[in-house]
Amino acid sequence: MNGKGNFLNRMGVEHEEFALKEVMNHKGDFLNLLKHANYSLKIDLPSDTAQHGVDVEIAHSTTVVAVRYAEGVMIAGDRRATAGTSVIYDRAEKVLQIDKHSVLAISGSPAIAYEIARVLEHSFQYFRRSQLQELSLEGKLRMLSRLIRDNLPMALQGIGGVIPIFALYDLGAADEENGGKIFFYDALGAHFENVNFATTGSGSIWIRGVLRYLSRFGDTPLQEMDEQQATITILRLLDTASEYDAATSGYNARAQIFPNVKTVTRIGVEDISDDELEARYAEAQS
Amino acid sequence: MRDEPYRWIEAIQDRRDYIEDQLRVGSPVVGLTYNEGMVLLTIGRGQRKIFEVHDRIALSAIGHPADIERLRMLVTDTASVQGFQNATEDVNLHRLTNFVLAHTFKQAFESIVGEAYIIKMLLAELGGTSEKNRFTCINYDGNVRTDTTSTVIGGTGAIEEGMQNYLAAASTDTDRDLTAALQLGLETWAVGRELSSREPEDAESEDTQIDTTQMHEIIGVAREDGEIEAGVLEIAQRGTSKFRLLAPEEIEAALP
Repeated sequence: MNGKGNFLNRMGVEHEEFALKEVMNHKGDFLNLLKHANYSLKIDLPSDTAQHGVDVEIAHSTTVVAVRYAEGVMIAGDRRATAGTSVIYDRAEKVLQIDKHSVLAISGSPAIAYEIARVLEHSFQYFRRSQLQELSLEGKLRMLSRLIRDNLPMALQGIGGVIPIFALYDLGAADEENGGKIFFYDALGAHFENVNFATTGSGSIWIRGVLRYLSRFGDTPLQEMDEQQATITILRLLDTASEYDAATSGYNARAQIFPNVKTVTRIGVEDISDDELEARYAEAQS
Repeated sequence: MRDEPYRWIEAIQDRRDYIEDQLRVGSPVVGLTYNEGMVLLTIGRGQRKIFEVHDRIALSAIGHPADIERLRMLVTDTASVQGFQNATEDVNLHRLTNFVLAHTFKQAFESIVGEAYIIKMLLAELGGTSEKNRFTCINYDGNVRTDTTSTVIGGTGAIEEGMQNYLAAASTDTDRDLTAALQLGLETWAVGRELSSREPEDAESEDTQIDTTQMHEIIGVAREDGEIEAGVLEIAQRGTSKFRLLAPEEIEAALP
Protein backbone atom coordinates (compact mmCIF):
# COMPACT_ATOMS: atom_id res chain seq x y z
CA MET A 1 0.00 0.00 0.00
CA ASN A 2 1.38 3.39 -0.95
CA GLY A 3 1.07 5.77 1.98
CA LYS A 4 1.60 8.74 -0.39
CA GLY A 5 4.03 10.20 2.11
CA ASN A 6 1.34 10.41 4.78
CA PHE A 7 2.38 8.85 8.08
CA LEU A 8 -1.22 8.24 9.11
CA ASN A 9 -1.76 6.22 5.94
CA ARG A 10 1.37 4.16 6.64
CA MET A 11 0.05 3.42 10.10
CA GLY A 12 -3.13 2.07 8.53
CA VAL A 13 -5.31 4.80 9.95
CA GLU A 14 -8.41 5.51 7.87
CA HIS A 15 -7.31 8.84 6.46
CA GLU A 16 -7.47 9.00 2.71
CA GLU A 17 -5.24 11.87 1.90
CA PHE A 18 -4.66 11.35 -1.76
CA ALA A 19 -6.22 8.32 -3.35
CA LEU A 20 -9.77 9.26 -4.27
CA LYS A 21 -10.85 5.82 -5.34
CA GLU A 22 -13.58 6.95 -7.67
CA VAL A 23 -14.53 10.16 -9.32
CA MET A 24 -17.76 11.64 -8.01
CA ASN A 25 -19.45 14.73 -9.25
CA HIS A 26 -19.33 17.14 -6.33
CA LYS A 27 -20.79 19.95 -8.46
CA GLY A 28 -18.04 22.25 -7.28
CA ASP A 29 -18.83 21.74 -3.58
CA PHE A 30 -15.50 21.58 -1.78
CA LEU A 31 -17.06 20.47 1.51
CA ASN A 32 -18.57 17.43 -0.24
CA LEU A 33 -15.19 16.67 -1.75
CA LEU A 34 -13.52 16.79 1.67
CA LYS A 35 -16.21 14.51 3.06
CA HIS A 36 -15.61 12.07 0.20
CA ALA A 37 -11.89 12.13 1.09
CA ASN A 38 -12.74 11.31 4.74
CA TYR A 39 -11.55 14.69 5.97
CA SER A 40 -13.60 16.01 8.86
CA LEU A 41 -13.76 19.72 9.55
CA LYS A 42 -15.75 19.31 12.73
CA ILE A 43 -14.29 18.85 16.19
CA ASP A 44 -16.26 16.51 18.44
CA LEU A 45 -16.28 17.74 22.02
CA PRO A 46 -17.62 15.83 25.03
CA SER A 47 -21.24 16.83 25.63
CA ASP A 48 -20.51 18.08 29.17
CA THR A 49 -18.32 20.87 27.81
CA ALA A 50 -21.41 22.61 26.50
CA GLN A 51 -22.66 25.70 28.27
CA HIS A 52 -26.21 24.94 27.12
CA GLY A 53 -26.55 28.28 25.48
CA VAL A 54 -26.67 30.30 28.68
CA ASP A 55 -25.15 33.76 28.37
CA VAL A 56 -22.49 32.68 25.95
CA GLU A 57 -20.33 35.57 24.99
CA ILE A 58 -18.12 35.29 21.94
CA ALA A 59 -14.61 36.42 22.74
CA HIS A 60 -13.56 38.78 19.96
CA SER A 61 -10.62 40.74 21.24
CA THR A 62 -9.62 42.80 18.27
CA THR A 63 -10.72 45.63 15.99
CA VAL A 64 -11.35 45.17 12.29
CA VAL A 65 -12.95 47.87 10.18
CA ALA A 66 -14.06 48.21 6.56
CA VAL A 67 -15.12 51.39 4.75
CA ARG A 68 -16.49 51.87 1.27
CA TYR A 69 -14.42 54.60 -0.41
CA ALA A 70 -14.39 56.03 -3.94
CA GLU A 71 -12.66 53.09 -5.65
CA GLY A 72 -14.01 50.14 -3.67
CA VAL A 73 -13.53 48.93 -0.12
CA MET A 74 -10.67 49.55 2.29
CA ILE A 75 -10.42 47.01 5.08
CA ALA A 76 -8.04 46.95 8.03
CA GLY A 77 -7.27 45.19 11.27
CA ASP A 78 -4.96 45.71 14.23
CA ARG A 79 -2.18 43.16 14.88
CA ARG A 80 -2.65 42.19 18.55
CA ALA A 81 -3.56 38.67 19.69
CA THR A 82 -4.51 38.22 23.32
CA ALA A 83 -5.28 35.44 25.77
CA GLY A 84 -7.19 36.88 28.68
CA THR A 85 -5.25 39.91 29.77
CA SER A 86 -1.97 38.78 28.19
CA VAL A 87 -0.69 39.98 24.83
CA ILE A 88 0.60 36.80 23.19
CA TYR A 89 1.46 38.04 19.69
CA ASP A 90 1.80 41.46 18.09
CA ARG A 91 1.98 40.55 14.41
CA ALA A 92 -1.30 38.68 13.88
CA GLU A 93 -2.82 38.90 10.39
CA LYS A 94 -6.54 39.52 10.72
CA VAL A 95 -7.29 40.66 7.18
CA LEU A 96 -7.01 37.67 4.88
CA GLN A 97 -7.24 37.64 1.10
CA ILE A 98 -9.63 34.92 -0.04
CA ASP A 99 -9.46 35.34 -3.79
CA LYS A 100 -8.58 37.98 -6.34
CA HIS A 101 -11.52 40.21 -5.38
CA SER A 102 -12.49 39.25 -1.83
CA VAL A 103 -11.14 39.63 1.68
CA LEU A 104 -12.18 38.31 5.08
CA ALA A 105 -11.46 40.29 8.24
CA ILE A 106 -11.71 38.09 11.29
CA SER A 107 -12.59 38.56 14.92
CA GLY A 108 -13.18 35.78 17.40
CA SER A 109 -11.43 32.47 17.90
CA PRO A 110 -8.29 32.58 15.71
CA ALA A 111 -8.07 28.82 15.13
CA ILE A 112 -11.61 28.61 13.79
CA ALA A 113 -11.40 31.92 11.93
CA TYR A 114 -8.21 30.94 10.08
CA GLU A 115 -9.73 27.56 9.23
CA ILE A 116 -12.89 29.21 7.91
CA ALA A 117 -10.75 31.52 5.76
CA ARG A 118 -8.74 28.57 4.45
CA VAL A 119 -11.83 26.50 3.63
CA LEU A 120 -13.37 29.52 1.94
CA GLU A 121 -10.28 30.16 -0.19
CA HIS A 122 -10.04 26.53 -1.28
CA SER A 123 -13.81 26.35 -1.90
CA PHE A 124 -13.76 29.30 -4.31
CA GLN A 125 -10.73 27.88 -6.11
CA TYR A 126 -12.27 24.42 -6.32
CA PHE A 127 -15.50 25.77 -7.75
CA ARG A 128 -13.60 27.74 -10.41
CA ARG A 129 -11.35 24.84 -11.35
CA SER A 130 -14.02 22.16 -11.42
CA GLN A 131 -16.99 24.10 -12.83
CA LEU A 132 -14.92 26.32 -15.15
CA GLN A 133 -16.52 29.52 -13.89
CA GLU A 134 -16.19 31.83 -10.90
CA LEU A 135 -18.58 31.28 -8.00
CA SER A 136 -21.21 34.03 -8.03
CA LEU A 137 -21.25 36.79 -5.42
CA GLU A 138 -24.35 35.27 -3.80
CA GLY A 139 -22.69 31.84 -3.88
CA LYS A 140 -19.66 33.20 -2.04
CA LEU A 141 -21.83 34.83 0.62
CA ARG A 142 -23.78 31.62 1.19
CA MET A 143 -20.63 29.54 1.41
CA LEU A 144 -19.39 31.73 4.26
CA SER A 145 -22.84 31.57 5.91
CA ARG A 146 -22.72 27.79 5.78
CA LEU A 147 -19.27 27.66 7.40
CA ILE A 148 -20.30 30.01 10.20
CA ARG A 149 -23.54 28.11 10.79
CA ASP A 150 -21.67 24.78 10.84
CA ASN A 151 -19.48 26.26 13.55
CA LEU A 152 -22.43 27.11 15.78
CA PRO A 153 -21.84 24.26 18.29
CA MET A 154 -18.33 25.60 18.93
CA ALA A 155 -19.65 29.14 19.28
CA LEU A 156 -22.34 28.00 21.74
CA GLN A 157 -19.71 26.29 23.85
CA GLY A 158 -17.99 29.62 24.15
CA ILE A 159 -14.70 28.50 22.64
CA GLY A 160 -14.93 28.94 18.89
CA GLY A 161 -17.14 31.85 17.91
CA VAL A 162 -16.23 33.87 14.83
CA ILE A 163 -17.76 37.16 13.67
CA PRO A 164 -16.16 38.20 10.38
CA ILE A 165 -16.51 41.04 7.92
CA PHE A 166 -16.46 39.95 4.29
CA ALA A 167 -15.56 42.56 1.67
CA LEU A 168 -15.54 42.01 -2.05
CA TYR A 169 -15.72 43.79 -5.36
CA ASP A 170 -18.64 42.95 -7.64
CA LEU A 171 -17.20 42.78 -11.15
CA GLY A 172 -20.75 42.80 -12.50
CA ALA A 173 -21.06 46.46 -11.46
CA ALA A 174 -21.11 49.01 -14.29
CA ASP A 175 -17.83 50.85 -14.97
CA GLU A 176 -19.07 54.09 -13.42
CA GLU A 177 -20.45 52.30 -10.34
CA ASN A 178 -18.54 51.45 -7.19
CA GLY A 179 -18.74 47.64 -7.00
CA GLY A 180 -17.23 47.51 -3.50
CA LYS A 181 -19.47 45.63 -1.05
CA ILE A 182 -19.20 45.02 2.69
CA PHE A 183 -21.04 42.20 4.48
CA PHE A 184 -21.40 41.60 8.18
CA TYR A 185 -22.27 38.17 9.62
CA ASP A 186 -23.87 37.10 12.87
CA ALA A 187 -22.94 33.93 14.78
CA LEU A 188 -25.73 31.97 13.06
CA GLY A 189 -24.44 32.82 9.60
CA ALA A 190 -26.99 35.45 8.58
CA HIS A 191 -25.36 38.09 6.38
CA PHE A 192 -26.24 41.75 6.08
CA GLU A 193 -24.87 44.22 3.60
CA ASN A 194 -23.43 47.29 5.27
CA VAL A 195 -23.56 50.03 2.72
CA ASN A 196 -20.77 52.36 3.83
CA PHE A 197 -18.88 50.78 6.71
CA ALA A 198 -18.67 47.86 9.13
CA THR A 199 -16.61 47.17 12.21
CA THR A 200 -16.40 44.28 14.62
CA GLY A 201 -14.31 43.12 17.56
CA SER A 202 -13.98 44.42 21.09
CA GLY A 203 -12.68 47.81 19.95
CA SER A 204 -15.50 48.35 17.48
CA ILE A 205 -17.83 49.96 20.04
CA TRP A 206 -15.43 52.90 20.33
CA ILE A 207 -15.43 53.69 16.62
CA ARG A 208 -18.84 52.68 15.29
CA GLY A 209 -20.32 56.05 16.21
CA VAL A 210 -17.38 57.87 14.64
CA LEU A 211 -17.90 55.94 11.41
CA ARG A 212 -21.56 56.85 11.39
CA TYR A 213 -20.67 60.51 11.99
CA LEU A 214 -18.07 60.57 9.21
CA SER A 215 -20.35 58.80 6.79
CA ARG A 216 -23.29 61.13 7.48
CA PHE A 217 -21.70 64.47 8.40
CA GLY A 218 -18.00 64.31 7.47
CA ASP A 219 -16.51 67.09 5.29
CA THR A 220 -15.80 64.35 2.78
CA PRO A 221 -18.20 61.43 3.28
CA LEU A 222 -16.46 58.04 3.51
CA GLN A 223 -17.78 56.89 0.16
CA GLU A 224 -16.28 59.91 -1.60
CA MET A 225 -12.81 59.66 -0.07
CA ASP A 226 -9.84 58.80 -2.25
CA GLU A 227 -7.36 56.12 -1.17
CA GLN A 228 -5.14 58.53 0.75
CA GLN A 229 -8.02 60.07 2.71
CA ALA A 230 -9.51 56.66 3.44
CA THR A 231 -6.15 55.33 4.68
CA ILE A 232 -5.66 58.26 7.04
CA THR A 233 -9.23 57.87 8.34
CA ILE A 234 -8.81 54.15 8.96
CA LEU A 235 -5.49 54.65 10.77
CA ARG A 236 -7.08 57.30 12.99
CA LEU A 237 -10.01 54.97 13.74
CA LEU A 238 -7.72 52.10 14.75
CA ASP A 239 -5.66 54.49 16.83
CA THR A 240 -8.84 55.60 18.62
CA ALA A 241 -9.92 51.99 19.24
CA SER A 242 -6.49 51.11 20.65
CA GLU A 243 -6.71 54.02 23.05
CA TYR A 244 -9.79 52.54 24.79
CA ASP A 245 -9.59 48.82 24.08
CA ALA A 246 -6.73 46.85 25.65
CA ALA A 247 -7.09 44.05 23.10
CA THR A 248 -6.45 46.38 20.15
CA SER A 249 -2.95 47.50 19.26
CA GLY A 250 -2.00 50.81 17.73
CA TYR A 251 0.99 51.67 15.57
CA ASN A 252 4.19 50.33 17.16
CA ALA A 253 6.80 52.90 16.09
CA ARG A 254 9.72 51.19 17.80
CA ALA A 255 9.12 47.80 16.16
CA GLN A 256 7.62 49.29 13.00
CA ILE A 257 4.45 47.20 13.27
CA PHE A 258 1.55 48.61 11.32
CA PRO A 259 -2.06 47.47 11.01
CA ASN A 260 -2.98 45.32 8.01
CA VAL A 261 -4.68 47.55 5.45
CA LYS A 262 -5.95 46.22 2.12
CA THR A 263 -7.95 47.70 -0.74
CA VAL A 264 -10.50 45.73 -2.75
CA THR A 265 -11.10 47.41 -6.10
CA ARG A 266 -11.92 46.47 -9.69
CA ILE A 267 -8.28 45.53 -10.29
CA GLY A 268 -8.23 43.20 -7.27
CA VAL A 269 -7.00 43.02 -3.69
CA GLU A 270 -3.91 45.05 -2.87
CA ASP A 271 -1.91 45.62 0.31
CA ILE A 272 -1.04 49.12 1.37
CA SER A 273 2.68 48.89 1.99
CA ASP A 274 4.34 49.61 5.32
CA ASP A 275 6.24 52.51 3.73
CA GLU A 276 3.02 54.11 2.62
CA LEU A 277 1.38 53.44 5.99
CA GLU A 278 4.31 55.12 7.73
CA ALA A 279 3.88 58.20 5.56
CA ARG A 280 0.10 58.23 6.15
CA TYR A 281 0.64 57.83 9.90
CA ALA A 282 2.72 61.00 9.89
CA GLU A 283 -0.16 62.79 8.16
CA ALA A 284 -2.73 61.13 10.42
CA GLN A 285 -1.08 62.59 13.52
CA SER A 286 -1.27 66.14 12.22
CA MET B 1 -8.92 -14.68 -20.99
CA ARG B 2 -5.87 -13.98 -18.79
CA ASP B 3 -5.33 -17.76 -18.64
CA GLU B 4 -4.59 -17.63 -22.33
CA PRO B 5 -1.68 -15.21 -22.83
CA TYR B 6 -1.93 -15.09 -26.58
CA ARG B 7 -5.58 -14.04 -26.52
CA TRP B 8 -4.85 -11.44 -23.87
CA ILE B 9 -2.03 -9.90 -25.93
CA GLU B 10 -4.25 -9.97 -28.99
CA ALA B 11 -7.05 -8.25 -27.09
CA ILE B 12 -4.64 -5.58 -25.86
CA GLN B 13 -3.40 -5.00 -29.41
CA ASP B 14 -6.99 -4.72 -30.67
CA ARG B 15 -7.68 -2.23 -27.93
CA ARG B 16 -4.56 -0.24 -28.83
CA ASP B 17 -5.59 -0.14 -32.51
CA TYR B 18 -9.11 0.94 -31.61
CA ILE B 19 -7.94 3.75 -29.29
CA GLU B 20 -5.33 5.05 -31.73
CA ASP B 21 -7.87 5.07 -34.51
CA GLN B 22 -10.20 7.15 -32.30
CA LEU B 23 -7.42 9.54 -31.29
CA ARG B 24 -5.92 10.02 -34.76
CA VAL B 25 -8.15 12.91 -35.81
CA GLY B 26 -7.94 14.70 -32.44
CA SER B 27 -6.82 18.34 -32.52
CA PRO B 28 -3.16 18.35 -31.37
CA VAL B 29 -1.98 20.37 -28.39
CA VAL B 30 1.35 22.20 -28.18
CA GLY B 31 3.11 23.13 -24.95
CA LEU B 32 5.91 25.69 -24.94
CA THR B 33 7.87 27.69 -22.40
CA TYR B 34 8.40 31.40 -22.94
CA ASN B 35 10.31 34.10 -21.06
CA GLU B 36 7.50 34.67 -18.54
CA GLY B 37 6.00 31.21 -18.13
CA MET B 38 4.45 28.35 -20.07
CA VAL B 39 1.71 28.21 -22.69
CA LEU B 40 -0.61 25.44 -23.87
CA LEU B 41 -2.25 25.96 -27.25
CA THR B 42 -4.73 24.19 -29.51
CA ILE B 43 -7.60 24.92 -31.87
CA GLY B 44 -10.87 23.49 -30.61
CA ARG B 45 -14.40 23.23 -31.87
CA GLY B 46 -16.50 24.60 -29.05
CA GLN B 47 -15.49 22.23 -26.27
CA ARG B 48 -12.91 23.73 -23.91
CA LYS B 49 -9.63 21.81 -23.91
CA ILE B 50 -7.25 23.71 -21.63
CA PHE B 51 -7.87 23.67 -17.89
CA GLU B 52 -6.48 24.87 -14.57
CA VAL B 53 -5.74 21.97 -12.19
CA HIS B 54 -4.01 23.75 -9.33
CA ASP B 55 -2.03 26.90 -8.55
CA ARG B 56 0.86 26.07 -10.88
CA ILE B 57 -0.50 23.13 -12.88
CA ALA B 58 -2.52 23.20 -16.12
CA LEU B 59 -3.94 20.38 -18.21
CA SER B 60 -4.96 19.69 -21.77
CA ALA B 61 -5.90 16.47 -23.54
CA ILE B 62 -7.13 14.90 -26.72
CA GLY B 63 -9.65 12.09 -26.77
CA HIS B 64 -13.24 11.42 -25.86
CA PRO B 65 -14.78 14.41 -24.05
CA ALA B 66 -16.36 12.20 -21.37
CA ASP B 67 -13.01 10.56 -20.58
CA ILE B 68 -11.22 13.91 -20.55
CA GLU B 69 -13.80 15.28 -18.12
CA ARG B 70 -13.66 12.25 -15.85
CA LEU B 71 -9.87 12.27 -15.58
CA ARG B 72 -9.71 16.05 -15.34
CA MET B 73 -12.01 15.84 -12.31
CA LEU B 74 -9.92 13.03 -10.80
CA VAL B 75 -6.72 15.06 -10.96
CA THR B 76 -8.42 18.34 -9.94
CA ASP B 77 -10.14 16.71 -6.95
CA THR B 78 -6.97 14.99 -5.84
CA ALA B 79 -4.87 18.15 -6.14
CA SER B 80 -7.53 20.17 -4.28
CA VAL B 81 -7.74 17.72 -1.37
CA GLN B 82 -3.97 17.38 -1.22
CA GLY B 83 -3.47 21.16 -1.31
CA PHE B 84 -5.96 21.64 1.52
CA GLN B 85 -4.83 18.79 3.77
CA ASN B 86 -1.15 19.61 3.48
CA ALA B 87 -0.12 22.77 1.66
CA THR B 88 -0.47 23.96 -1.90
CA GLU B 89 3.33 23.67 -2.25
CA ASP B 90 3.00 19.92 -1.68
CA VAL B 91 0.91 19.50 -4.83
CA ASN B 92 3.23 18.70 -7.69
CA LEU B 93 3.12 17.09 -11.08
CA HIS B 94 5.39 14.22 -10.14
CA ARG B 95 3.05 13.03 -7.39
CA LEU B 96 -0.10 13.53 -9.42
CA THR B 97 1.36 11.69 -12.38
CA ASN B 98 2.91 8.77 -10.59
CA PHE B 99 0.46 8.21 -7.75
CA VAL B 100 -2.82 9.06 -9.47
CA LEU B 101 -2.89 9.29 -13.23
CA ALA B 102 -0.37 6.84 -14.70
CA HIS B 103 -1.66 3.79 -12.88
CA THR B 104 -5.30 4.81 -13.47
CA PHE B 105 -4.61 4.97 -17.22
CA LYS B 106 -2.68 1.69 -17.21
CA GLN B 107 -5.25 -0.16 -15.14
CA ALA B 108 -8.10 0.89 -17.42
CA PHE B 109 -6.13 0.07 -20.56
CA GLU B 110 -5.17 -3.42 -19.44
CA SER B 111 -8.52 -4.37 -17.91
CA ILE B 112 -9.76 -5.68 -21.21
CA VAL B 113 -13.24 -6.46 -19.94
CA GLY B 114 -13.72 -2.88 -18.78
CA GLU B 115 -13.87 0.39 -20.64
CA ALA B 116 -10.58 1.95 -21.71
CA TYR B 117 -9.92 5.67 -21.60
CA ILE B 118 -9.62 7.21 -25.04
CA ILE B 119 -7.24 9.94 -24.06
CA LYS B 120 -3.77 11.42 -24.23
CA MET B 121 -3.08 14.00 -21.57
CA LEU B 122 -0.60 16.86 -21.37
CA LEU B 123 0.12 18.56 -18.04
CA ALA B 124 2.30 21.61 -17.46
CA GLU B 125 3.85 22.65 -14.16
CA LEU B 126 5.36 26.08 -13.61
CA GLY B 127 8.49 25.67 -11.52
CA GLY B 128 10.02 28.13 -9.07
CA THR B 129 12.67 28.80 -11.73
CA SER B 130 12.51 28.24 -15.49
CA GLU B 131 14.79 25.19 -15.16
CA LYS B 132 12.12 23.54 -13.04
CA ASN B 133 9.28 23.96 -15.55
CA ARG B 134 7.90 20.56 -16.56
CA PHE B 135 5.65 19.17 -19.26
CA THR B 136 4.33 15.65 -18.71
CA CYS B 137 2.49 13.66 -21.36
CA ILE B 138 0.55 10.57 -20.31
CA ASN B 139 -0.42 8.08 -22.98
CA TYR B 140 -3.69 6.11 -22.81
CA ASP B 141 -1.67 3.03 -21.70
CA GLY B 142 -0.09 4.85 -18.75
CA ASN B 143 3.29 5.56 -20.32
CA VAL B 144 4.73 8.88 -19.23
CA ARG B 145 7.04 11.27 -21.08
CA THR B 146 8.55 14.39 -19.50
CA ASP B 147 9.98 17.46 -21.25
CA THR B 148 11.29 20.77 -20.00
CA THR B 149 10.97 23.37 -22.78
CA SER B 150 8.38 22.09 -25.26
CA THR B 151 6.10 19.16 -25.92
CA VAL B 152 3.19 18.03 -28.07
CA ILE B 153 0.37 15.54 -28.01
CA GLY B 154 -1.16 14.37 -31.25
CA GLY B 155 -3.36 11.53 -32.42
CA THR B 156 -0.53 9.09 -33.20
CA GLY B 157 3.15 8.67 -32.53
CA ALA B 158 3.91 9.63 -36.14
CA ILE B 159 1.98 12.90 -35.85
CA GLU B 160 3.79 13.74 -32.61
CA GLU B 161 7.14 12.92 -34.18
CA GLY B 162 6.43 15.22 -37.14
CA MET B 163 5.46 18.03 -34.79
CA GLN B 164 8.49 17.46 -32.55
CA ASN B 165 10.75 17.55 -35.61
CA TYR B 166 9.25 20.87 -36.68
CA LEU B 167 9.70 22.28 -33.18
CA ALA B 168 13.30 21.10 -32.97
CA ALA B 169 14.11 22.74 -36.30
CA ALA B 170 12.21 25.98 -35.69
CA SER B 171 12.71 26.78 -32.02
CA THR B 172 16.21 28.12 -31.74
CA ASP B 173 15.26 30.98 -29.43
CA THR B 174 14.62 29.58 -25.96
CA ASP B 175 14.02 33.08 -24.55
CA ARG B 176 11.03 33.78 -26.81
CA ASP B 177 8.21 36.07 -25.71
CA LEU B 178 4.54 35.08 -25.56
CA THR B 179 3.81 36.33 -29.09
CA ALA B 180 6.65 34.25 -30.53
CA ALA B 181 5.54 31.24 -28.50
CA LEU B 182 1.96 31.56 -29.77
CA GLN B 183 3.14 31.83 -33.37
CA LEU B 184 5.43 28.83 -33.03
CA GLY B 185 2.68 26.89 -31.28
CA LEU B 186 0.22 27.59 -34.09
CA GLU B 187 2.71 26.57 -36.78
CA THR B 188 3.44 23.34 -34.92
CA TRP B 189 -0.28 22.74 -34.52
CA ALA B 190 -0.71 23.21 -38.29
CA VAL B 191 1.96 20.55 -38.93
CA GLY B 192 0.08 18.18 -36.64
CA ARG B 193 -3.26 18.93 -38.30
CA GLU B 194 -1.80 18.32 -41.74
CA LEU B 195 -0.32 14.98 -40.67
CA SER B 196 -3.54 13.87 -39.00
CA SER B 197 -5.49 14.58 -42.20
CA ARG B 198 -3.25 12.20 -44.18
CA GLU B 199 -3.81 8.47 -44.43
CA PRO B 200 -2.03 6.66 -41.56
CA GLU B 201 0.69 5.25 -43.81
CA ASP B 202 1.38 8.72 -45.32
CA ALA B 203 1.64 10.34 -41.91
CA GLU B 204 4.58 8.10 -41.12
CA SER B 205 6.52 9.22 -44.21
CA GLU B 206 9.61 11.38 -43.86
CA ASP B 207 7.98 14.23 -45.73
CA THR B 208 6.55 16.43 -42.99
CA GLN B 209 7.63 19.69 -44.59
CA ILE B 210 4.90 22.25 -45.19
CA ASP B 211 5.55 25.87 -46.03
CA THR B 212 4.29 28.96 -44.22
CA THR B 213 1.52 29.65 -46.72
CA GLN B 214 0.17 26.13 -46.23
CA MET B 215 0.34 26.56 -42.46
CA HIS B 216 -1.68 29.77 -42.60
CA GLU B 217 -4.22 28.09 -44.86
CA ILE B 218 -4.58 25.17 -42.44
CA ILE B 219 -4.97 27.54 -39.49
CA GLY B 220 -7.46 29.67 -41.46
CA VAL B 221 -9.61 26.64 -42.34
CA ALA B 222 -9.50 25.38 -38.74
CA ARG B 223 -10.62 28.79 -37.46
CA GLU B 224 -13.69 28.79 -39.71
CA ASP B 225 -15.40 26.26 -37.44
CA GLY B 226 -13.16 26.45 -34.40
CA GLU B 227 -11.30 28.81 -32.10
CA ILE B 228 -7.72 29.13 -31.00
CA GLU B 229 -7.51 28.34 -27.31
CA ALA B 230 -4.44 29.17 -25.26
CA GLY B 231 -3.82 29.03 -21.52
CA VAL B 232 -0.76 30.30 -19.72
CA LEU B 233 0.96 29.70 -16.40
CA GLU B 234 2.46 33.12 -15.78
CA ILE B 235 5.20 33.89 -13.29
CA ALA B 236 3.98 37.51 -13.01
CA GLN B 237 0.34 36.56 -12.33
CA ARG B 238 -0.75 38.09 -9.01
CA GLY B 239 -1.77 35.75 -6.23
CA THR B 240 -1.04 32.06 -5.83
CA SER B 241 -2.94 30.85 -8.92
CA LYS B 242 -0.73 31.32 -11.95
CA PHE B 243 -3.11 30.07 -14.62
CA ARG B 244 -5.27 32.12 -16.94
CA LEU B 245 -6.86 31.59 -20.34
CA LEU B 246 -5.73 34.15 -22.90
CA ALA B 247 -8.44 36.53 -24.11
CA PRO B 248 -9.34 36.31 -27.84
CA GLU B 249 -7.83 39.77 -28.44
CA GLU B 250 -4.50 38.70 -26.93
CA ILE B 251 -4.40 35.72 -29.28
CA GLU B 252 -5.50 37.84 -32.23
CA ALA B 253 -2.68 40.30 -31.56
CA ALA B 254 -0.14 37.50 -31.86
CA LEU B 255 -1.36 36.29 -35.24
CA PRO B 256 0.74 37.24 -38.26
